[in-house]
Amino acid sequence: MRPVRPRRAPRRAVPPRRTGAASLAAGGVLVGAVVATALLSLVWTPHPPEAVDTGAALLPPGGEHPLGTDRFGRDVLSRIMAGARVTLQAGVSAVVIAAAVGVPLGIAAAMAPTWLSRLVLRANDLVLAFPALLLCIMLSAVYGGSTLTAMAAIGVATVPLFARLARAAALPVLASEYTAAARAAGRGRVAVAVRHVLPNIADVLIVQASVAFAIAILAEAALSYLGLGTQPPTPSWGRMLQEAQGLLSSAPLLSLWPGLAVAVAVLGFNLVGDGLRDLLDAGGAREG
Amino acid sequence: MRALEPPRPHGLAATTRALAAAAAALLVVTGCGAPDDGGDGDQVRVGLVAEPASLDFTSNDGAAIPQAMLSNVYEGLVELDEEGEVRPLLAEDYERSEDGRTYTFRLREGVRFSDGAEFTAEDAVFSIERVKEEWTIGLADRMDVVQEATATDAHTLEVRLEHPSNGWLYAMASRIGAMFSRTGVDDLATDPVGTGPYTLDTWERGDRLTLQRNPDYWGEAPQVPTVVFRYFQDPGAMNRTMLAGGLDAIPNLQEPEELGGFTPDGGFRVAEGTTHGEVVLAMNNDEPPLDDVRVRRAVRHAIDREALLETAWGGHGTLIGSMVPPLDPWYEDLTGVHPYDPDRARGLVEEAGAGGETLRLRVPNLPYAVNSAQVVQSEVEKTGMDVEIESLEFPARWLEEVHGAGDYDMSIIAHVEPRDLHLFADPDYYFHYGGEEFASLLEEADRGSPEEQVAKTREAARVLSEDAAADWLFLMPNLTVAREGLAGLPRDQVGEAFTAKTLRWEEEG
Repeated sequence: MRPVRPRRAPRRAVPPRRTGAASLAAGGVLVGAVVATALLSLVWTPHPPEAVDTGAALLPPGGEHPLGTDRFGRDVLSRIMAGARVTLQAGVSAVVIAAAVGVPLGIAAAMAPTWLSRLVLRANDLVLAFPALLLCIMLSAVYGGSTLTAMAAIGVATVPLFARLARAAALPVLASEYTAAARAAGRGRVAVAVRHVLPNIADVLIVQASVAFAIAILAEAALSYLGLGTQPPTPSWGRMLQEAQGLLSSAPLLSLWPGLAVAVAVLGFNLVGDGLRDLLDAGGAREG
Repeated sequence: MRALEPPRPHGLAATTRALAAAAAALLVVTGCGAPDDGGDGDQVRVGLVAEPASLDFTSNDGAAIPQAMLSNVYEGLVELDEEGEVRPLLAEDYERSEDGRTYTFRLREGVRFSDGAEFTAEDAVFSIERVKEEWTIGLADRMDVVQEATATDAHTLEVRLEHPSNGWLYAMASRIGAMFSRTGVDDLATDPVGTGPYTLDTWERGDRLTLQRNPDYWGEAPQVPTVVFRYFQDPGAMNRTMLAGGLDAIPNLQEPEELGGFTPDGGFRVAEGTTHGEVVLAMNNDEPPLDDVRVRRAVRHAIDREALLETAWGGHGTLIGSMVPPLDPWYEDLTGVHPYDPDRARGLVEEAGAGGETLRLRVPNLPYAVNSAQVVQSEVEKTGMDVEIESLEFPARWLEEVHGAGDYDMSIIAHVEPRDLHLFADPDYYFHYGGEEFASLLEEADRGSPEEQVAKTREAARVLSEDAAADWLFLMPNLTVAREGLAGLPRDQVGEAFTAKTLRWEEEG
């Protein structure tokens, strides 16, 4: 969690950097590849990703199995493809849960009387006090491990990120003259929040979402790796890493593929977030 | 208001973070081993998985507690030798009466508990009665046969049994027979007091348990002053710590495929022995559809155990057909009772009308169980039933929900206690089997002469197998890895305890 701090003044003075577009493009390609793989796996994989064939265990890459087979004789490529689906599902659900709870909470905190605002912020701090992964482990331990609990746990753990950000971003908007005008014209609180605040803080939230997505992917991998997330035999990249770990010295490539997949997806979403922020920042600078 | 503007990370910082994330993912792949914390002749560092939840085996199940405590901190009147035979320990010798109902133990003199109290026949009476009155674990029923224990003098103990029992003396060599001090049972969970060659030094939960040589030990002092049990959630990390020099011995390797990595050139010695650890595919005999013997037999016919052993445990281990390992005198090869026969399995499921049923396979999140579960699932689903795997945190959650509450259809766990056939006789135990013929055979075996015991127990094991009370996937091998120079690790695991007093460093030469 990054502390809330004033924006450094010199930032506005230098001309906007033009790295945004490049990051966005590179990130877009990586994320696009992951999404395309996930979609493709819905209709086609080279082999059924869960079909056990003990006679074909631990085949090296090549031929019928481009990335080889695992200990159970399952095709690794097919499992990576199907795993992309689980990974994206986990990421999307976690971010949706976090944003759907966190953003309204943050905006409400910004508009509410001081005591209520403080209450919300302290509750946020409370959740933040637990490292996200610990919270996930706790929830998974109580409600049992599944992709669903992993997603919910990651989502809940990410709520404070969105709430704080939304509140911080909403405050200057609420202080602006046009919101004052809208209020004076008799607009209700909810209408002000939806019509004026939300569109004006959307850029910040989108950047946050892309970063949260990357975190969620890592968290799902970590939880499944610990046996608290996706259950066997469903492939998820984290689970595949866990299963490959026991064979690290005899079949090291088995660990490489899911590891690479996680790295590509996380890098992709981070680059998209980076690029988006730079572009939106530059836009803001021009308007100002 | 400026001060409250949202933080917008600098571009470079965010890219670094992305790279850090990617690096983190790769770290998971390479699974950084723990740093070497130095080895020397004063200590032996032993790598184990499954940490004890408490140090009190009188009220907590789980094999990890006696593994660390028994024969190191606690001792019994008798113990098992390397062959698995009963021999005297705290008793100098013992006598069995003509009718087989009375045992007279002559206890060693000059034995002291680690709290300073002298070990007398009163303590033995206290320990035996305490099993009957206070112990809450399932195995405590092994003491039910005792009618009366009396101290005839300070060092003579007389135990009168309800009926002759072959199993009782054997059980006295297990945790059931551990001798407690009358003044040392207040805080068993963290402060064990026994007569053993070692005492508990420190227990850092989640990491290690350190035993220190007991300076007042009655017997020959062990050669190694400090024994450290290091617990790993993750067997892979354990293996890599061993390879990196952070451990001196792994008494039971958990990733058999990695055995090849421990070479003599690298300074390691490996050995493959056997154990009492039957990997049981437990079936809930109480719940449909597995209350139907045809469905249970179908499950056994459906599984190609040879392929399963190869897949799940690298082909190390032994196939068995019942709850009896070859270490026991009544072992009989029962692997042919329900051989691998998928067609037969499908037919039986159809006959029982169980097609389409969903079986919940709730397994502990241990490598052998999760690996086996995926093969079992694939094989059993070919019979027309559905199988859903759920891996549960071990030990706490699995013990509570499956072992304790019996909330499962199938599960997989290694039952490591020696001669634990009797577990199936209790209809309340999580198998919910309790076949009457089986139970009466075991009872006759227990009361009969040694020859009758062998014959009747063998018959009971066959009944159990024919009833398909469970499936026995394989018998755990005992794969030991030791650093060159460390001797005294047992080849076979005959009892519940990991005995540290026999360990010794050989002279360099």
